[in-house]
Parts: sequence; C-alpha cells; structure tokens
Amino acid sequence: MGRTAAEWSAPPKFPATHYVDSRLYTDEAIFNEEKEKLFRPSWIIACHESELPEAFDYRLFTHPAGVPLIVVRGDDAKVRAFYNICPHRGNTILYDPSGNAKRMTCIFHQWSFDTRGNCVDITREEQGYQHRVSKKDVGLREVKCEVAYGGFVWVNLLDDCVPLREFIGGALDILEPYMQEPMELFHFHKAHVRTNFKLWHDTNSEFYHDYMHYFNRITGMLQPGYFERKYTPFPNGHATVGSMQIQYDKYEGSKERAVGWPKMARGGWYMVDLFPGMTYNLRTSVMRIDTSIPLGPNEVLIEFRGLGLKRDTAEERAQRVFDHNTIWGPFGRNLHEDLLGVTGQGRAMRKGTDSRWVLQGREENSTIHDEVGMRHYYAEWSKRMGRPAYDPY
Amino acid sequence: MIKSEQRQAIEELVYRSCLALDTITTHSAEIKRDMVWLDHDKKGMETLFTNLPKHNSDHSPLTRHATVYTVDLAGSEANVVSALQVFRTQLDGGATELFAVGRFHDTVKLDGSTAKLVKRVVRLETRQLGYGYHVPF
Repeated sequence: MGRTAAEWSAPPKFPATHYVDSRLYTDEAIFNEEKEKLFRPSWIIACHESELPEAFDYRLFTHPAGVPLIVVRGDDAKVRAFYNICPHRGNTILYDPSGNAKRMTCIFHQWSFDTRGNCVDITREEQGYQHRVSKKDVGLREVKCEVAYGGFVWVNLLDDCVPLREFIGGALDILEPYMQEPMELFHFHKAHVRTNFKLWHDTNSEFYHDYMHYFNRITGMLQPGYFERKYTPFPNGHATVGSMQIQYDKYEGSKERAVGWPKMARGGWYMVDLFPGMTYNLRTSVMRIDTSIPLGPNEVLIEFRGLGLKRDTAEERAQRVFDHNTIWGPFGRNLHEDLLGVTGQGRAMRKGTDSRWVLQGREENSTIHDEVGMRHYYAEWSKRMGRPAYDPY
Repeated sequence: MIKSEQRQAIEELVYRSCLALDTITTHSAEIKRDMVWLDHDKKGMETLFTNLPKHNSDHSPLTRHATVYTVDLAGSEANVVSALQVFRTQLDGGATELFAVGRFHDTVKLDGSTAKLVKRVVRLETRQLGYGYHVPF
C-alpha cells in the first residue's frame, strides 16, 4: 500500500543513527560547508609516486576543497605540492595535466619558480620594483605532502593538520602486508557524474548492492564465505571490509586471477573506505583507488586509478590490465553499473523531487550486507559538520 | 596504387562495421601512457554480448559515424584510418549527445574487390565517458 505525503515525510521508524535526510545530497550551503569542514582538513590522495618517476616530473590535481595543485618531484627526489596559482596576478602556472618542468614559469608575465617553490625569476624586476620586492616573499604556497601507504602522494591544505598516520588511524593496516612491493600505475580515468560525492562513497561502503552486479553475485554472493565478510570501523570515519575467496572463473568469459598478488590468498579481496571520499580496493591482481572530487551538491568527478606491481613482466601486466578492464574499466561490467546506480540516485534526489530519507538500517552483525559502513561514515560526518545527518537543520 | 573499386569496398566495410564492432585504446595525457580499455578476440566479444542481458544498463542506444580518411595498400592488405564519432541517445525524450570521438585503425584483407576486416583498434580521444557503457565502440 502506498503512503500519503505525511507518511512519506515522517521520519523512518529506525533509530536516528540508521537513516539520513536526503537534503544532505542537494543543499548548496551544506555542500560548501562540507568542502571546508570535511575536505580541507583531511589528507587526500593526489596521485601515485609512479606518476612522477623522474626529477622535475609534475602532476596537476584539483583538491576536493577546490584548490588547484601542482605535485612535483624536486631535484632532490622529494615530492612536494604547491598551489597552481601564480603569486603575481593569480594566473594558472601549469596547464598540461602532467609533464617535466625544471622551472615552472607562468605564461602571463614569465615569473618563474623552481620545484622547491622558490621564485627564481621576476621579469624586469629592478625596473618595476626598484628593490621593493624580494623573490623570497613571492614564493609558491606549499601544502603538506607525504608519500605513504603504497606509494601514494597525500596532500593536506592546513599548515597545522594532524599527522597523516593519525588521520588514517590504523585503517590501512589490513593492506600493509600487500603494499610492501612498489606498485605502478597502468590505468587512469575520470568519470563526471551527476550525483553527490557521498553517494559514491556509500556505494563503496556497502555490499548489499551486489544484487545490482551479476558479476559479483555469480563470483561472490553465491560462493562460500561471502556472508562472513566483515566491516571494521576505524577512527575518523574510515572502515575496512574483510576478504573472501572470489570465484572469478564462475563468470563466463572470466577466469581465475592466476597472476595473483604477493602474500594474498587466492581470489582475495580487501577494501578500505577512507573518509571523506577515497577507497583502496585490492581485488587479487589489481589495486584500484577512487578519489572523489565534488564539484557541486549533485555533481562529482571521480578519479579512478589501476595499479599493478612495478616488477611485472609484460605478460603479468597484460593480465592485470585485462582483469581490471573486465569489471573496472570504463567498459567494465561493474563500474558502469555502479556509476549508473549513483546517477539514478542523483536523479531521484535532486532538488525538488521530494526525496526525504535514505535508509541505512540493515544490521547483520557487521557482515557484508550490514549497513554499518555507511552509518559509521555519517556519524563522523555529523561530528565534523556539527549537524546530525538525520536532521541537519 | 589502390583501385577505386577496392577503396569503395573498404569504405563500405568500414561503414558496415559501424553496426558491429574490438580493441579500445587511448592515450592518457595525465599519466603519459597508452592504455588498453578493452581487448577481446572474437570469442571474447561473443561472450561479452551473450552476457549483456544479465547486466544492468540504461539501454541508451549508440550511433556510430565513421569517415574513411586514409587507405594505405601493403600487398594484399590495406591499413585504413577512419574518423569515428559516437553519439548516445537517451531513451527518455530521445536527446542525443556526442559520447566520444576517436579513430578506427583497421587492417583490411583484400581479395579482388572484396574487403575483409582482419583487425580493428579503436583509438579514443575522449577519455571521460560519464557513467560508461557495457557495449564497446
């Protein structure tokens, strides 16, 4: 029996921790607040070290708080990050998304900077400034930067941020045994989708939606061990998902992921969801990393990375690429379904649709269809935002 | 020198093949690498299509449009480069938008005025494909 408008709008008959107000996904003011309160203080993955193999290699990254960044390897091999904003007239310094630059020179007036952020040239300096300006006072804005947890380049915009290790809070310990060997990136693409960034993170934080994926049902849900996989919450809103043995050969056209991963059991699969919008996803032969860059309440750019081992032979790498593409590439079986799912949520929850609540009420002893991963995320969201997710106003 | 009937046969083959489909590659300006996004042999492609009804999709149809640019004869084979545009039409309302651009790099076997497609590599320029698609170009 359908419900009336009043019944539809009434809070769900769950504890307040087990649902959220849909307006969390559409409100412009909440979105702007999220950028400041969630993303600006958080450590964010900007790229992987293998994207910067040589001195002076750089990579551009738009921080989820909105700041354009340059991540660059210096002459001393250290990776640093700076605003991609010229201190002179606020222009973009580097345009190509990656490259090699001994000097980073703004095209506007040719002010030039080295890879340590020093201003090294001001054109017609003496004539214009008559010693009133010192180059040391117009260096680039540097942001905190660390290479860690599998060779990923982490950045933080705050001068007084918490240490990266404290931010992670042990959530990546589950993957430490599998990140001892150097990895190398082989896949990168971005997906621009009309949905809220939290909905993408929700999808990575619950497995009940395996009903949407034929591949996951046949290789996972119908196999032994699936319903024993467990969520473990960690401080700061992070959560992990334990492993099982995925039967990849049960899907026609797929086969056992024989190339494997060092120290990982056959068919293993671990996930780590990091607040406020990143995911480590190690599925036997491939490491996938998602980084969400919110563009608006109902608009997100997701960066997808696929990695193998640096020591891969050509044959091993080809197999990892094949395994990746089967489900996770832009033409993969699962990624399209996941992105379609959150796009559908974005469509149904956009402003004015009278969507009211999102339920997160499944309790199954923290096992795979329990929605504790999402509940844990929104508890942290509520704390940082100073608004309960079930009643944000 | 390629004969006009051979060129005509090749063009017809490329245009007909827009109704069917292989390997999809692209170059990432971000990570300065060539990437393979899909690579199947004939059997793999058949399986991919056989499995389609078991998967969820929005079922928005694609329209492929190709224009043959160059045909270079090499013995009994020709290397053919064509421009490709792929359009996607939404089921609800029928709005059409450009989905991707790229090129077909085809190897075509010639036997008199008969042309057979031996190999196709789809080289995409477009790397942002929104929520993606299950069906290759």
